[in-house]
Amino acid sequence: METAVSISPGMPVEIGRIEKDLGRLWEEIGDSKTRASLINLAIYTEKESDVSANTELISKIASEHACRAILIYANREAEQPGAKAWINAHCHAVNRREICSEQITFQLDGRSPAALSNVVFAHLDSDLPLCFWHQAPFREPLDSKLWRWIDRLIFDSRTWDDPAAQLAIVRRIAGLSGVHSVLCDLNWTRLLSLRQGLAQFFDNSCALPYLEKVDRVEIRHAPGSKVSALLLLGWLAGQLGWQLDSVLGRHSFRAPDRSEVAFELIESDGPCISSCRLLAGKTEFRLDRAEHGKFFHATKTGGHFDDSSQLLPAGRDRIEDTLLVELGRGGTHPLYLQSVGIIEPLLV
Amino acid sequence: MPTSNDHAENPLREGLLSRSMPEPCSLVIFGATGDLTHRKLVPALYNLAADGNLPPSISVVGFARRDKSDEQFRSELEEAARKFSRQKINDELWPNFAGSIFYHRSEFDNLAGYESLAKRLDELDAHRGTRGNRLFYLSAGPDQFPIILENLRKSGLNKSDKGWVRIIVEKPFGTDLPTAIELNNMVEEAFAERDTFRIDHYLGKETAQNIMVLRFANAIFEQVWNSRYVDHVQITASEPLGVEGRAGYYDKSGAMRDMVQNHLLQLLCLTAMEPPTDLTADAIRDEKVKVLRSLRRISGAQVAKSVVRAQYAAGFVNGKEVVGYRDEQNIPKDSETETYVALEANVDNWRWAGVPFFIRVGKRLPKGATEIALHFKSVPPVLFRQTGQSIDDNVLVIRIQPDEGVSLRMSAKLPGSSMRIEPVKMDFHYGTSFGKATPEAYERLLLDAMAGDATLFARRDEVEEAWKFVDAIRAAWESGEGGPIAFYEAGSWGPSEADELIKRHNGAAWRRL
Repeated sequence: METAVSISPGMPVEIGRIEKDLGRLWEEIGDSKTRASLINLAIYTEKESDVSANTELISKIASEHACRAILIYANREAEQPGAKAWINAHCHAVNRREICSEQITFQLDGRSPAALSNVVFAHLDSDLPLCFWHQAPFREPLDSKLWRWIDRLIFDSRTWDDPAAQLAIVRRIAGLSGVHSVLCDLNWTRLLSLRQGLAQFFDNSCALPYLEKVDRVEIRHAPGSKVSALLLLGWLAGQLGWQLDSVLGRHSFRAPDRSEVAFELIESDGPCISSCRLLAGKTEFRLDRAEHGKFFHATKTGGHFDDSSQLLPAGRDRIEDTLLVELGRGGTHPLYLQSVGIIEPLLV
Repeated sequence: MPTSNDHAENPLREGLLSRSMPEPCSLVIFGATGDLTHRKLVPALYNLAADGNLPPSISVVGFARRDKSDEQFRSELEEAARKFSRQKINDELWPNFAGSIFYHRSEFDNLAGYESLAKRLDELDAHRGTRGNRLFYLSAGPDQFPIILENLRKSGLNKSDKGWVRIIVEKPFGTDLPTAIELNNMVEEAFAERDTFRIDHYLGKETAQNIMVLRFANAIFEQVWNSRYVDHVQITASEPLGVEGRAGYYDKSGAMRDMVQNHLLQLLCLTAMEPPTDLTADAIRDEKVKVLRSLRRISGAQVAKSVVRAQYAAGFVNGKEVVGYRDEQNIPKDSETETYVALEANVDNWRWAGVPFFIRVGKRLPKGATEIALHFKSVPPVLFRQTGQSIDDNVLVIRIQPDEGVSLRMSAKLPGSSMRIEPVKMDFHYGTSFGKATPEAYERLLLDAMAGDATLFARRDEVEEAWKFVDAIRAAWESGEGGPIAFYEAGSWGPSEADELIKRHNGAAWRRL
């Protein structure tokens, strides 16, 4: 039985016997290891090649966040409906004790949404929250039965080909009757360190008045990370009361005092967001991150205070780190939909 | 004087924090070359910086007698941080963090040293944007507190025209009620109570903070958290260590003053308190102080019945032979200082009438553990009487350290055709469920002091009420009414007198940890 870190989905089992076989698996593992679970973490993918990558990711997540993982690969191209399952355990040493999480992997052939909701409903660890990571594009019609069961709906807007259409569906999911899922866009989570870094400039009351005077924003982002940059921009606009102003295809913001706030998104190689500059006249607040850098260099120059520079943690760009941050923080994301609402016209 | 609530809101902070934001400040540590600074304070500050939780322009100024430069001080602290930090030291971050550390040499009794400190802090304010916010940390020996406080006042460092000024006082908060009052008066002459933060690092531990969550965020527990269902409560703090390098201090202090007066009575308060009206510092501390006021005083001849004091004799700990307390270096051969205390406390209020709280604390015990255990009353001996079995009572255990968690002992039927009942345990381990390391208590407490949140710090009346309880017991010991000191073998669970003490309550026994 595979109990070490593995990228194999594990031992094949009959779907009707999964719980029994999991019981046997734990018997074989014995008393030296402890099964633990804080959440149900379901991952839905439509790419076969993602199964092993997701298994590896689940193993890493389980090392900090014990869970029952349910990995579902939907083989939508299969002509005949069908299903296969595997079980696996991921064990990690924590404080001289081996803590294990279990993984159930499904391959669902065909396109029936009912099959998806059935395998999820049938294999949840009871009473634990369900975090559902939808790695494939959202499709309509929406299966409200499934969405109603989800406590945290996780997705990553950076991976979407059509962000405008996808965000519109996300909004519809949020509006479905009886759905109370917390929307967790990993792209929003990815911005957490950046938002904290920008916020810290203005914890100093000497710097706070400059927030109202910001007249230009420059964000440097990696190719494919424009939505990340826009979400950051949307957050700033929402928090500072800026309204989007579009004239003849040229976009800028209007501050509450009606002054113009220009912005520029610059594509360049490097981390997701490599730089963010807020300019208020000759005063500049700036976060820079080198490629693979663990820290932001936070600098402020000009203004009625000394120039200063410091290092702030930038987090990591690896997807498992982003997911761990999301699972570790918990709570809701009240500003996310506000930011999405502001940037929607810019996504088209 | 401005407080932390006087500043305007930063709109970019919305949704990013669920706690008060610490403000930029200068943190001045008195006794900066001591053990606490090296082992706890600087590693805690570094970890806060590494997690991005430290205010951006903080300055840390070490104030001590030895002659050294900023660079020497930083280098010593780096060495200590590499040894004691929870997180590995990052070579890119350390120089940036170390750039905020400074050293100020002065004798504690030299007023000029404080005046030059004031100038230096003004310069740092101007240079680093700390806005006149100052946090003084009394980490020196308690005998130095009076002169430090006096010089802070004389030099005007206890006031700031621009920002706030706060003080963190390390325990011991006095050695008895009169000295505690004297110390509190001295602190009060220089600092308002709202700016005084008496640190008890037990309160910064995650599990201590979790007691309130366990009690008040779970409907099932609070319903049974009273004399109707609870038979008795046991609070234990045991450690295998002896006096180590603290002989001088410990022999004057003893277990009662070193542990019971502060840590254990704080745990008792968190266990016994009523729900506060809200989660503000004073609402919680109001409830804790009510518990202390409800503690039945143990004095005179009653002390011999309700309190056991003991001292360890030679024995074995962790397989090694260890000497008795009186044979430890720098301990007088005729020392009467207690290294072990067991006592029965009673909280005389409606909730806890008739429920004894048994407290035990000791050095050179078999292992280190701190926990609170609620022993519930027995079920009526009706249904399973015919089976001839005794049924163990339910016990809810809150483990403070190590292996933080909560467990519930209950009875279950053994599989099989006969009716056999055995105790089983439902167990929650922080380490198992939450893989990531929990912050050190000092990280949380330093952050709270910078943010002006006094919830996890002891208030003056709490400290003084706790001393009233402890002083009455000590007075009986000193007069001889409290009975003679007992002895226990190092590596055992304490003297037999302690077993007798708890046995008098319906035949109860100390928990096997």
